[in-house]
Order: sequence, then C-alpha cells, then structure tokens
Amino acid sequence: MSGTARIVLEGIGVVGGFGCGIADLSRALAEGNDRPGTLSLSTGSGPIEFPAFRADTSRLKEFVPARTLRRIDHFSKLALLGSHLALADAGLAETEHERLGLIIASGYGATGITYAFLKSFINDGDICASPTYFANSVHNSAAAHISIVLGARGPSLTVSQFDLSVPSALTSVRQWLLEGRVDRVLFGAVEELSELIGYAWYRQRGAPRMPMTPLWTGKETAIPAEGAAFFLFSRTEEARAGYCTLETAVTGSPANAGFPLPGDGLLLLGADGRRETGRRYAVLAENARIACYTPLYGSMPAGPAFDLASAALIIKEGRIFPSPGDASLDFPATIPAGGEPAGADRISCLTLAGDKAYGLTTLGKLPGTTGECARED
Amino acid sequence: MSVAPIAITGMGCICAAGGNLSDSMNALLRGERRPAPPVRFASNHPVRYPVFEAVDFEEPPDLLRTSAFALHAAREAFADAGLDRKTLGTLRVGVCVGTTVGTVMSEETFCRGYLAGDEPDMAPFRRILHSNPADVIAREFDLSGPRQTVVTACSSGTDAVGIAGSWIRAGLCDAAIAGGADELGRITYIGFISLMITDDSPCKPFDRHRKGLNLGEGAAMLVLVSERVLRRVGIRARSFLLGYGSASDAYHLTAPRPDGAGLRSAISEALATSGVSSASVAFVNAHGTGTPDNDRVESRVLHDMLPGIPFLSTKGYTGHTLGAAGAIEAVFTAACLEIGKIPANAGFETPDPGIGITPVTEVTPFAGSVALSESLAFGGNNSVVVLGKA
Repeated sequence: MSGTARIVLEGIGVVGGFGCGIADLSRALAEGNDRPGTLSLSTGSGPIEFPAFRADTSRLKEFVPARTLRRIDHFSKLALLGSHLALADAGLAETEHERLGLIIASGYGATGITYAFLKSFINDGDICASPTYFANSVHNSAAAHISIVLGARGPSLTVSQFDLSVPSALTSVRQWLLEGRVDRVLFGAVEELSELIGYAWYRQRGAPRMPMTPLWTGKETAIPAEGAAFFLFSRTEEARAGYCTLETAVTGSPANAGFPLPGDGLLLLGADGRRETGRRYAVLAENARIACYTPLYGSMPAGPAFDLASAALIIKEGRIFPSPGDASLDFPATIPAGGEPAGADRISCLTLAGDKAYGLTTLGKLPGTTGECARED
Repeated sequence: MSVAPIAITGMGCICAAGGNLSDSMNALLRGERRPAPPVRFASNHPVRYPVFEAVDFEEPPDLLRTSAFALHAAREAFADAGLDRKTLGTLRVGVCVGTTVGTVMSEETFCRGYLAGDEPDMAPFRRILHSNPADVIAREFDLSGPRQTVVTACSSGTDAVGIAGSWIRAGLCDAAIAGGADELGRITYIGFISLMITDDSPCKPFDRHRKGLNLGEGAAMLVLVSERVLRRVGIRARSFLLGYGSASDAYHLTAPRPDGAGLRSAISEALATSGVSSASVAFVNAHGTGTPDNDRVESRVLHDMLPGIPFLSTKGYTGHTLGAAGAIEAVFTAACLEIGKIPANAGFETPDPGIGITPVTEVTPFAGSVALSESLAFGGNNSVVVLGKA
C-alpha cells in the first residue's frame, strides 16, 4: 500500500431492534433509544416471553423482487437487506459488481432453517428430510444469496468465530483490499434470533430483564438480539467521500504478545451485559475514555459490527453519542457526555471472547475531507 | 501480481485412508479404499449409503469430533515441522481452519428434546460453543496470533490455507497452522441424501457411470512459516504455498455454474499470484466429488485451461470430507510433489464421452515441481491453491 492509499468506508446498511437504515441507528444513538421487542417461546415449563431485539426485513422488497425471496430464510433476508442498504448508502446500488469481494461474519449462522431441517426428519423420518432447508442451512448461504442477487463474482468468504467473527473477518477485508484482489469489499455481519437460539439463551441465562447495563460489568444484564450490519469498503489513493477509514483490524490472544490497546482516542466497548466477559472489559478499559452502545442493539455475536457502525457515525458527525445506562458503571473510566466532540482522530472498537482472545478494530477520520457521504433518509 | 512463496514446514492428516499423512499416502498409493455404511450412527433411511469414516478415532467428550480431528492433525503437523511448544511460544502464530459443521448450532438430541417439550441437557450446546476449531487449536498450543474459522462449505479448507499465507505475507503473524476439519454425522448424512447427490455404491469420480459422492470425515493441517522464521528457527521447508485464488459462481446454492466461470477465475488468480504458467503445472488434484454436475463442469474447465495435464480426485479414498477436503487434498498434493508420483483416481473405470478427458488410472510418475489443488463448494465458492516442491 502506498503512503497515501487508504481503506475508506463508503456505505453502511444496518437493520436491528432499533430500526432499519443508518438514519434509524443514528437516531437511536442520539436519543438513547433502548427499547427492545419481545421473544415468545415454548419451554418445558410452559410458554414464556422476554425482551429481545428483533429485526424487521420488510424493507427488503424495495430492493429484491418478492419472487426471488420466496425460498429465502430470515437469516439470508437480513443479510440481503443489510447489503442492499449499504450499497444504496454508498450510492452504488446500480453499479456492476465484477470486482466486488464479499465477506460475511456470523457467530451462529442460519439457525432457524437449520432447526427447520432437523424438524423435517425428526418429525417425519430420515427419508423426509428437506433438501431446500438443508441447502440453506450452510453458513455461507447468506453470502451465496447476496452474490447471486448482485451478480457478484469476486471472492467470497464467510467467517464463524462466535464472538470474534466480526474482527476476524475484518482482517480479511483489509487483506483483500491491500493486496488488490478486489476494488471493493462488501462486508457484513448477520445474526438471527431463531427459536432455537432463543431457547438456548433462556436455558443458559434465564429470561433477561430490562434495562441492559453492560457497564455494570459484574451483573448479567444481556438481552438477546438479531440483525445485520453491512459496510462497503474500498481502497483508494484519492480523496473519496465516506464515513471514515479502516485503520487496523487485529485478533489474537494477549498470552505472549501483550495487548495493543490504543493510548488515546475513544475506546468503544463491545461489552453486552454478559457476565463472563464483563469483568475483563472492566479490567482492560480501566481509566480509559470509553463508550458503549450495545443497549441499543442488544447482545449477539454480530454486535461488534454495530459497534463499528456507531464508531463510524461518531467520526462522521464529530460528536460522541451518550452511552445508554452510563450511570451504571462499576469500574473507573471516563464516559463522555452526549454531544461532546469526538476529540481524537481515531476510535477503537474492542471485542472480547469467552477465552482470552480479543479483537480490536480502529477507524480513523478521513484526512482532508469533511467526511460527507451519500446518506439514505 | 505474483506473491512471495510461503514455506510449508509441517503437515498432518487424518481421514478414512489413515490416521496420519504417511499412512494415508501409503493407502492411496496401494489403491486401498474402504467405503462402508456408517457404523458410528444409524439412520432409518431405507438405503444405506457408503461413507468413509475414520472409525478408529475417538474424540474426548468435551470436544466436537470436528475439533478433535483438527487438534489431532495439528499435533502431527507441528511435530513434523519440528516446532515444539517452547518454540511456538516465541512466535506469533495464527490459526486458520475451515469447516462446515464445526460451528453449526445443530445438535439432534437437544432438538428432539426441545421438540418433545422436555428441558434437554444443555451440555451438547455448550460443547459446540467450546469447540470452535480455530479456538481449540489456539487454546491447546497457547497461540497468540490471528484466528479465523472459515465456513465457505466445501472450499473452506482450501480458503483457510490461502488466507493463512496472506497473513504471513502481510506480517500479521510469523507462522500459521492452517487447514480444515469436519466430522461425519447423521445430520450431514441425511442432508446429502436429501439432495440426491450421494452414490449408493463406492464413488466413481469422473467415471461415465458416476452417481454422486460418498461422504467422509477427517482433518488436515499445514504449518506455514515466514522466511524469517525459517532461517531463525532452522527448520526445513517440505514444500511451498505459491499462490491462491477464489471466486464466486453467483449462480446457485448447490449447483456449479455450468460454464465454470467461477472456477476459471479462481484458477487464473491462483496461477497469477503464484507466478507460474499453466504449462508448468505437473498435475491437478481436482475436487472430483463424483456428482454428475461437479465432474462435468470441473473437467470442462480443466480441458480448457490445463489441457493434457494429468489430474485425479483423491475422494475415492477419503470420501468427500467437506470443510476438510481442501486441506486434506492440499497435503496429499504436497506429499505427491515430494515423491514425484500421484495415485490412481480410485473408482474410475469408464470414460465419459460427455467429459472428454480422463483422470490417471494408475500410480503415475511426473517430472514437474508445481501442482494445483482445487475445491468447489455449495454457495458457488471456487478456490484453488498452487503448491510447489521444496
């Protein structure tokens, strides 16, 4: 990469419990709107209902004919909607996608259709297994549907690293662009809150209760979620409109190599109310200048992609959004008030996994530009 | 566009052909294969389709069989590379593993219990969360570099090797353990039968009478190291990763694009990044599943892009090991480059006039030093690695 080349984030497409589109996320961030919907389940002890962030894919019909969507499951619909929103946000919805790379991250994959496939032969015998459900149950089904709908024939990669799926996939986004394999990469993270995942959540953690207070790290306050967050990245040596630059994306374990936390700037924590990672965030972020927006979109392996979208909006708008529930902080750190200037040219997003592993993604301000870009309403 | 070669210093493999790379290669060269109906699980499907199980392998109760396979192959690969835990601790080592089932949240007993209105045991679910293949290897060897579990269906193992090479070139790590792993279970078995692409007899890649694939299971791992580490640690290269390419069909979820455009792009990129010409390729380890569609498309592309170059599928010895296949076939390819001969394409008897080219039918010596290993996958993924003799 030459001295002036950079990776620019040109467009964002998000759908989640907060709404659909980058404008809805921006509004939720500004207003601190952390109002999830609900998930209803049958359990061995009767039906239950608890808070959950659900995503509505009805806007997908603006982009893809209903006929094309007939056999596409909720997981892939989320991904298709996110990808089209990102392309539209970048003003590239009608562009040819010959040199477009596609990278998808998902912790759990297409769990709804996987469960439907299992039901097809559990209920009716092995000979009645559904081939359609099976074909759509593979982790890269969302990538396949996107490439087919867009006619994208570049390289395609799907990563499933549970909590680290997003930062791990972002290392490949950077590599593909730095190597010149493709001109642009459409990157997205997607997670569906299927009946199966909802039930497993309930069994492991019990029914969640409001509010989600991830910065009170000693307490379990996570609320399950689904959604998709997509990004269009390009490599350029010229000034190009966009949100920000992708500076670094690393994953690893601090066992031998130390931990490359940024010394300045804002640290956006992926803490999502799960106790097993909460205390580690508290230790690592002690005395740092932090923000955390997971109460707006909930807890899911794709969550770090929404952190990324939030960080990009902060950089673009030049001001920090209030961290929902910032009063519930059980470790020493500085949480900037809403509206405070971003204050530094870089924001790092920290993601921690259940073991010692971490992911750290850093976004930077576009040099010499105002950062303005095409925006959907 | 060519990139620096990356040294492969160690390899490990487990599959139905053998519990390590040496035993597997010997079985291939002897022409041995043992497809049989599954013994580790049952099905009430009226037809008993043959599979290639690693029947002697037992996984520990706290790990998915997939991840246990991955660990087994990783141990062999690190030992083969001469990298002990102490040395590994001085390096930043990445882990990149391809799989199809290693991260899937599907456990039949759990789902049956839930469907029946019970409160099923959560242990199987927790085992999945604890068994991400890349995480398992990183934990076991205390590796500090990047980690990635690639889930591009049947091209996962090939992609993982190519990605790990890219990490080393970029300086993201000093070395990497890369490969693929997949177990065979009821869900996969029933799923492939439902697609009507499995053969009820031993598979016959590229044969006129081929009816489909036989599933298999196993893992293979390769240790890739930077030039600097090669010199510093004083270990030898067994072979080299010269290039990698991948491309999408953008056509269908399970069927390959009839004109093979995605595979053609992947081969072109792999050759361009390796800096070698198609004429210098000694042989191709083809995907060769034995399904009518795959073998037709793949042979058409080989005929056009690599005419006259010997090719084979090794799936007649291992079955289709899905996310492990690309890695298993990469280590077979590298091992063949070392010994200068390739095994016969097991199961092939009758040339298919619709294909027009035939794979090697006996153990075949060759003189070159470069070979291709290619994978085609559900989702329309096509991936190719170019390997070179040390």
